[in-house]
Amino acid sequence: MAGATQDFSQFDISKEEIDKLVAEVVRYVLFKTHQNSGCPIKREELVQLVTKNYSQRALPAHVINAAKEKLSNAFGYELRELLRCRPSSATQGRSTQQTGVAEAKSYVLISQLPAEVYKKYVEDENSAHLSGFTFVVISIVHLAGGKIPEDILWRHLKRMGLCETDASHPVFGNAKQALETLVQQRYLQKDKVNGPEGNTLFYELAERALDGPVSEKMKEYISEVLFRDDSHFVILML
Amino acid sequence: MPSLNWKHHALVQALMTRGPLKEKDFHAIFSGLTGKSPGAHQGLFNEYLLNINKELSSCQFELRACRDQYVGQVCYGVVNNVADEQSKLGTKYTVQQIAFFKGILEAIAQDVIAQGSISNIEALNIRLENQVLSTQGSQLLNGPLPAAFRNFTMSQKEKTLDEFVQDQWLCCTPDGKIGLGVRSCLDLRGWFRNLDVPFCEVCNEAVVKGELCQNEGCAVRIHHYCLKNKFSRRSGEILCPRCGLKWQNQLPKAEILDEEEEANDAIQSQPAQRPKRKRTKTNETHEKDAVGCGSSQSSVPNSDFRRITRSSSRPASQR
Repeated sequence: MAGATQDFSQFDISKEEIDKLVAEVVRYVLFKTHQNSGCPIKREELVQLVTKNYSQRALPAHVINAAKEKLSNAFGYELRELLRCRPSSATQGRSTQQTGVAEAKSYVLISQLPAEVYKKYVEDENSAHLSGFTFVVISIVHLAGGKIPEDILWRHLKRMGLCETDASHPVFGNAKQALETLVQQRYLQKDKVNGPEGNTLFYELAERALDGPVSEKMKEYISEVLFRDDSHFVILML
Repeated sequence: MPSLNWKHHALVQALMTRGPLKEKDFHAIFSGLTGKSPGAHQGLFNEYLLNINKELSSCQFELRACRDQYVGQVCYGVVNNVADEQSKLGTKYTVQQIAFFKGILEAIAQDVIAQGSISNIEALNIRLENQVLSTQGSQLLNGPLPAAFRNFTMSQKEKTLDEFVQDQWLCCTPDGKIGLGVRSCLDLRGWFRNLDVPFCEVCNEAVVKGELCQNEGCAVRIHHYCLKNKFSRRSGEILCPRCGLKWQNQLPKAEILDEEEEANDAIQSQPAQRPKRKRTKTNETHEKDAVGCGSSQSSVPNSDFRRITRSSSRPASQR
């Protein structure tokens, strides 16, 4: 249904065509999310679905909003918009409040179900290890101040049993690839920093990890762990 | 359009995240969410599914159930109804793996006697190049060169088979063969139509594993469990719905089924059952039945009936 809150009368397009466009966007989002294992989808890709056949200027925005509604009403998914953030070294000296710079927007699907309901009925236990891994890694980076050199990150992971050189870990397979997936999913981003000794690769929290709900949960979790076993964890961070 | 609440969403998301679910698991989720069991509240359950499908249909999706053809149990899943550009994205498999899958699917579906499965060796020997040459109109025609298909090694095939079974596109049958998985039964109706797989006269789903009509000119197929349902309701003979021929090769099986039921119920002995059936038959078929019944007693075990090709003669099929 073309969003009840969207006003499509300004466009010279039939309701059927609008519905079809909305359905295409919804389907694209669902299938692409499955195919790339939850990596954010660029807004540009969704816009293209509309501009491929229609040239009205404000139409893509309306269609995407209607698709957002549809995903929420029919599936209970939120089409969450993320603003792609750039590595801190690239933004030095520039105000982050600049609106003149068009930062790339991307979307991820997030379930709107209450957490207990999701955990009880929806969660796929076969992929629980990936969520755990994600959480641990971004917690480490967060505790390091939001940014951590590559070798330090691997040192921490090694203490938990995952080596950088592991190519066939029983749970995670290729360890390097597992970390790279987090970069593709935009939980982390890589940043090369020029230092006196040459280039160092840093991992930094990216938009998905900085996003409200995720960030909140992460802080809750960390504070829980710290209260439970603070001495061990704090030492880990030094 | 009725709006859905979080309970509907939970049902849909569970199927989308976890994949197809067996009926009892799906019912358990429903019970957990609503506090009512689908068995006792059929109307409510159906209403939920109906409302969900009203929303999903605008996006060409559907929440449907199908019967696993190998075990006969019902499974639920959210399926895609239209093969368009977007849905082509929805797979993590490579082009070679998809070609391999198509080859297996065709081999299983085109089995003349509808066994519904092929052996592991047959699966591993499927040649991907045949898919490139096929005229099914798939995107494989413009895909990678045949070399990439030829280089799809045995170990890659084995690994891929495991993945397919894991993802429920294929399944391992009890006798160690490869059959179609729940996802294929739910999702690939259109494909079966393209392959000209006959659909069951009773339930209108593709019959990949089932019984064939005795009449060689008749293409009717019926699932085992559908026949069982039909037999349990009628004590007379079953006629092929299309050609009218008596469904003869079912007779011994039905008797064995009935015998089993009786053994469980401890009601009547086997000989007593046969006269009862004879009485309900018309006179002209009486003799045939006598022959059929008689020879079925001393006939070879049931499985052999299915393996014999249609052209071979059997004692039970004397006219």
